Amino acid sequence: MRKADEQGFREFAAANAASLRRTAYLFCGDWHTAEDLMQSSLMKMYMAWKRIKDLDNLIAYARKVLLRTWLDEKRRPWRRAEQRDGELPDAADVSVDPDTTSAKLWARELVHTALLQVPPRQRAVLVLRYFEDLSVAEVAVAMGCSEGTVKSQTARGLATLRAIVEKLDSSSGRVAS
Amino acid sequence: MSEQEIREGMLLAVWDEPPLDFDPDALIRRVEQKKSRRRALVGVGVATAMIVVTSLTLPGLLPRDQDSQLGSASQTTTSAPPSESVDQKAQRIGDKLAEKLALRMTNLKEVYASFRPGAYAYEPNAPTTTSPRSGDPELSGFVYLTDEIGPTAIQVVLTKSKNAEKVLCMGASTCHDVKQNDGTTVTEAEYNDGGPDITRAVSLRKFQSGYYVQISSFSYNPATNQGLRQTVPVPVAVLTDLVTSPGIAWQ
Repeated sequence: MRKADEQGFREFAAANAASLRRTAYLFCGDWHTAEDLMQSSLMKMYMAWKRIKDLDNLIAYARKVLLRTWLDEKRRPWRRAEQRDGELPDAADVSVDPDTTSAKLWARELVHTALLQVPPRQRAVLVLRYFEDLSVAEVAVAMGCSEGTVKSQTARGLATLRAIVEKLDSSSGRVAS
Repeated sequence: MSEQEIREGMLLAVWDEPPLDFDPDALIRRVEQKKSRRRALVGVGVATAMIVVTSLTLPGLLPRDQDSQLGSASQTTTSAPPSESVDQKAQRIGDKLAEKLALRMTNLKEVYASFRPGAYAYEPNAPTTTSPRSGDPELSGFVYLTDEIGPTAIQVVLTKSKNAEKVLCMGASTCHDVKQNDGTTVTEAEYNDGGPDITRAVSLRKFQSGYYVQISSFSYNPATNQGLRQTVPVPVAVLTDLVTSPGIAWQ
């Protein structure tokens, strides 16, 4: 690869690695796997860089690659199914606001428990629509399906997620809004 | 749960994001290593496939009876058809010779041939050796026949050795060359050992490749060294007919 192309890829990767890892985390619910997914996606992009470097929306292409990489990973029979419960801190952090922390913990639970129970493609639609703030058309491009499918998957995903959250809230005493 | 809450929930879910330790250069190095490993793997795969294909196709290209040819060092098969072994050639030539002789001399009975590859049986008095020696003919043998006097044989030798030609005319009562239309030369020789009757007749055909075919008729049975008679059972003209027979592929 030419030096200029290599430099272009280096800049693109450095600028978007964090964002891709966050999206990957919402897909898989594990930071380590998310990092692997992000790196695998960027490696694939590097190998095809000569062909794709002039695309209009490179980050959309990167999301598409990330989604495919994650779905491929999920389809593998020997896929990693490890679920981490998090590490307990050695001592209480007195600087944090208990209310904020509670909200964050609930959000984490939303991802770990609720979102991960949503079927993969519906979960992907929800993440791309509500985390990445993509339009229906953009999600359809990323998922490689029609806009109608995106809409139906979104509706089903939301219904599934709401049902799971409601169940979680009723079991933990939190009132679902 | 509203869509806004889901949106906020997702943003909060990545709140405890661990620090990103991402080095694009390390990633590029990994990809390049992966590429070179893949290239090496493809190279090994292609080489293995070529070896397998070669090993599968090569036996089909070699002569079928390669083992038996390699086993006897003195056998010359350069001009033989690649698919025909020396044994097969001996059988073919023997059968043809017997057939031609029976047609040429209708007074003969029980005409059949027995050839063996590599064995030296050129000198009638010398015993047939079992171990191959340098200068041994490619093929030698006898065409057995029974005439009015009794059973006897004529001797046939196929060789590349020039000795046959060198000594042919020595002691012969008549010896002359007859050029053939196909470029070969036939030397006819007759011997009488000082007597009035011919005791030995030889027809030697020399091919341009240096290959010799010699058919000899004796006043005794060369296969057994017995059965002495007054003269040869097959005259030299018939021997020449046999040695120049177009139906027999000698080489």
